[in-house]
Amino acid sequence: MTAAVKIQDFSYRYPDGTAALDGICLTIDHGRRVVLVGPNGAGKSTLLLAMAGFVRGTGKVFIDDVEVRSSNAGKIRMLLGCCMEEPDDQLFMPTLYEDVAFGPLNMGLNPEETKQHVENALRQVGLEAMARKAPHHLSAGQKRAAAIATVVSMSPKIITFDEPDGNLDCRNRNNLVRLLRSLSQTLIIATCNMRFAAAVADRAVVVDNGRIVADGPAADILYNAELMAAHGLETP
Amino acid sequence: MHHSYLDKYADGDSFFHCLDSRVKFLAAVAFSAFVLLSGPKAIAVLFCFAVGPFAVLIWADIPLSFVFRRILAVCPFVLILALSGPFYDRLPENVAVGPYVFSLAGGWLRCISILGKFTVTMMTLFALVCTTRFADLLAGLEKMRLPQVLIIQLGMLYRYLFVLMDRVHHILRARSTRKLRNLGFRRETEIAAAMAGSLFIRSIETSQKIHIAMQARGFCGQFHSMRTMEITRRDIFFIAGVIIFLGLIQWGVKPFMGGAFL
Repeated sequence: MTAAVKIQDFSYRYPDGTAALDGICLTIDHGRRVVLVGPNGAGKSTLLLAMAGFVRGTGKVFIDDVEVRSSNAGKIRMLLGCCMEEPDDQLFMPTLYEDVAFGPLNMGLNPEETKQHVENALRQVGLEAMARKAPHHLSAGQKRAAAIATVVSMSPKIITFDEPDGNLDCRNRNNLVRLLRSLSQTLIIATCNMRFAAAVADRAVVVDNGRIVADGPAADILYNAELMAAHGLETP
Repeated sequence: MHHSYLDKYADGDSFFHCLDSRVKFLAAVAFSAFVLLSGPKAIAVLFCFAVGPFAVLIWADIPLSFVFRRILAVCPFVLILALSGPFYDRLPENVAVGPYVFSLAGGWLRCISILGKFTVTMMTLFALVCTTRFADLLAGLEKMRLPQVLIIQLGMLYRYLFVLMDRVHHILRARSTRKLRNLGFRRETEIAAAMAGSLFIRSIETSQKIHIAMQARGFCGQFHSMRTMEITRRDIFFIAGVIIFLGLIQWGVKPFMGGAFL
């Protein structure tokens, strides 16, 4: 069986020479919900961008056994969907419906198939009634759900989330946890919120200074007080 | 800046809200052209023209106070232009208001005419944007084969204008919480320039993130759309109404009121 994500000795430096990722080796199986936890500036977001092919360094990245290269970017986009940190960056079309339809149309689906994908995605995140709304008419929680719908509508096998719980209150965060747990795809979530991580994930990967310093079952990693404290984190 | 500043009433369900956006757009353009092409001193005709957008606003349940507050907000620019009239045209002209006839400098007539045309065309514009969702307007423009790059630019501008204005407010608020006294013109200018620079850099960062988000969803430079629109009997009825209204003013009213009369 192929791995959903396989990263082999991947390193990346920012243009100023600072090492962002250093010798990353990571394999994630299909159907898993994995959290990348680590302090600010650890390299979590860069690692997510590397998986999607937006950051090119040394080493190899495979998505569902397809090597990430500029020549097959289109194929990678259909396998792996990215949910950005800020929903306002993700929702750029005049209406929510058009935003959710943006990906399926780019995949080459016909209008009828696109309609199906959009309606299913909106139903899945509970925003069917908001389809004709402009994104700036939505609340923070709705924007987050809408951003997820824009990715879910493309039916990718893997979805990455960069700090999806940012700026959400307790109720919206719980709604998000329910929504993420209802998704059948492989989820890779970068977060600093340990309670959120513990509620969502079955596996945790600790990233610090551009390296993976711990990897294992979420219950073991996230509740290891000594490990968490050593990397500027806390237990849930 | 809240989004309701512009499109608060665009989601209504009146007769005008339900019209095809292309029909409304073309009607607004034609109507504005007729208003602007009326004589430089034909003030009485402007009152007749004003009946059109006024009726639309009333029928569509758009509060006139909402419209006139926004017209007032942009009127200073036109006011400067209008008030320049009396300085270069001082020839007296006879003006009749009912049975009363008096003399007024031509420049003042031009001034009133400019302000009148501005008010009527702005009312027309607000009648359009208050009864049409911006997304529908863009869809209409797209169907009218306007360049796609222009449509995308307008869509992005509308989408991110509010985000940008929110950022401006946050920066200004952060500044005011730490600004305890007036720092003098030079220092204040330096701070304003730094704030503008910060906003510019954040805008570039945002545009880069948006581009990544677009690429992540398979964008390769070509926008695909699934917008469908069709002209209904309601639209034809509206077009006929606009043509009759403009025809009545042009050939029924204007020949009798086209002079410099109030």
